[in-house]
Amino acid sequence: MNAINPAELASAVRDPVISLQGVRKQFGSHRVIDNLSFDVREGELVTLLGRTGAGKTTVLNLIMGTTRPDAGGVTVAGYDPFRQFKQLKGRLAVSFQTDRLLPWRTAVENAELGLLILGEDRATAREKASQWLARVNLGGAEDKYPHELSGGMRQRVSLARALAVDPKLILLDESFSQLDHITSQGLRKDFCSVARDFGKTCLMVTHRIEDAIEMADRVIVLGQGAHIVLEMPLAAARCDEGLRNDCRSRIEAALGG
Amino acid sequence: MQAIEQQGSAGQDGQIAKAAFEALPQRSILQNVSVRETAATIVVVLLLIGAMEVASWYVPDYIMPAPVAISRAMARLAATDYTHVLVTLARLAAALSFSLVVGVLLGLIMGVSPLLRPFIRSLVIIDTGIPALSWILLAVFWFKNPETRIFFILVMILVPFYTLSIYDGIRALPKDLVDMIESFRPSQLQTLRYLVIPHIVPYILLTTKSVIGYATRMVIFAELVASAVGVGSRMGLAQSTFHIDEVLAWTFFLVVLNITLQLLVTGIEKLVLGWRPEATVR
Repeated sequence: MNAINPAELASAVRDPVISLQGVRKQFGSHRVIDNLSFDVREGELVTLLGRTGAGKTTVLNLIMGTTRPDAGGVTVAGYDPFRQFKQLKGRLAVSFQTDRLLPWRTAVENAELGLLILGEDRATAREKASQWLARVNLGGAEDKYPHELSGGMRQRVSLARALAVDPKLILLDESFSQLDHITSQGLRKDFCSVARDFGKTCLMVTHRIEDAIEMADRVIVLGQGAHIVLEMPLAAARCDEGLRNDCRSRIEAALGG
Repeated sequence: MQAIEQQGSAGQDGQIAKAAFEALPQRSILQNVSVRETAATIVVVLLLIGAMEVASWYVPDYIMPAPVAISRAMARLAATDYTHVLVTLARLAAALSFSLVVGVLLGLIMGVSPLLRPFIRSLVIIDTGIPALSWILLAVFWFKNPETRIFFILVMILVPFYTLSIYDGIRALPKDLVDMIESFRPSQLQTLRYLVIPHIVPYILLTTKSVIGYATRMVIFAELVASAVGVGSRMGLAQSTFHIDEVLAWTFFLVVLNITLQLLVTGIEKLVLGWRPEATVR
């Protein structure tokens, strides 16, 4: 674990896409996030792991710009995501815990939604969306409505929708946690393959240790008040069973289980 | 662009779903109309005709004419009074379309503007509290032109239905979907176009389906009081000249018209909302 991995070294010198510095957020008298600082660098896939109530979703909302910090600063691709909300158009995409597909649009119409919002003409948007559906193994299901698709297929459409806008940053909010183990495994593999092929920066929020170990380059474990209780690289662990078990034990210990 | 390797559950997932789609039965609108319901309707109509026939044996013609006399009146009216039907339909279409547009706009404003919401809500609630008869009488006082009178009456009665329904629709917009579309940073117009308007279409159709029968009754009532042209005025004339066969002929026509309009809206609904899965409760 102490040996310097060339990929990690290269990642460390890249510009941060997400940067949180001394962030504090409270709801009423309850301080959800207290002095949280971390960076996610370009091309990195970082997992934010924590138990329920650790403030993971609030961190994600701060990065998405749907809420503002009480103190400290958040920047995404050099912009304040709350104050410069529109500046991040096309630079950020989110894949949610549930697929959140529009039921009146077919798979391809859902996948092209972000592109149409970005101002792409209909024909180009349709072509790109179809290509992305094929990439997530949904070729042939373009004209099916969400209710005609399985849970795994719907989640694939949701990923295609996020990836189609070619964002700099992809946020994943427990995107695989509602799927069964086998479907989730296949989808994780496909997503990582696409994210790495296209050099996407990803921040994934999850409570599942397995998701972190199988996907992430780095894991950040949050305790109560979103304090970082463990931060470690994971890229090397993907190829080494022993190292993976060691990482799993350390993460479990950090989570207090 | 590199394709992802097809393997594991992903490939199987796609294959299973593809097979499932191919196995789905293709149903047309006509096939959806239940044969049992149609048969039941025919039985009820035949029973009613039978009851009218029997009643006509025992009471004078000016109280209950025989079904044959009513059908003769219908044939006569179809040849001479069809322009009145067209006028009534045109009035209904104009008022319904205008009410739909205004009601939907007001509902949208209520949904998206917290500032204007209480004002519009107050107006709509006051409007719903005013009886249809008051609008009819006020229209007779306020407007000379019968077309304006009827249009005004119908619009004042129908707009609140659309406004409240659309406002409810916007309130029922799933927050998950709002957050999803917001994550792409759309303009307000794009949010309306891609999320809000498609979401409220079922509410518009449901409201139209609910009010169309009521609107037909109201236009007839308004014509009876405020106009010399249209089905309502012809029914008034038939009543004042003791032509009960014509009153019943017009009534039969209105029932058929209402069923036709309902079927038309249902057809549009099936066409526009084809994406909706049909749930069945056992």
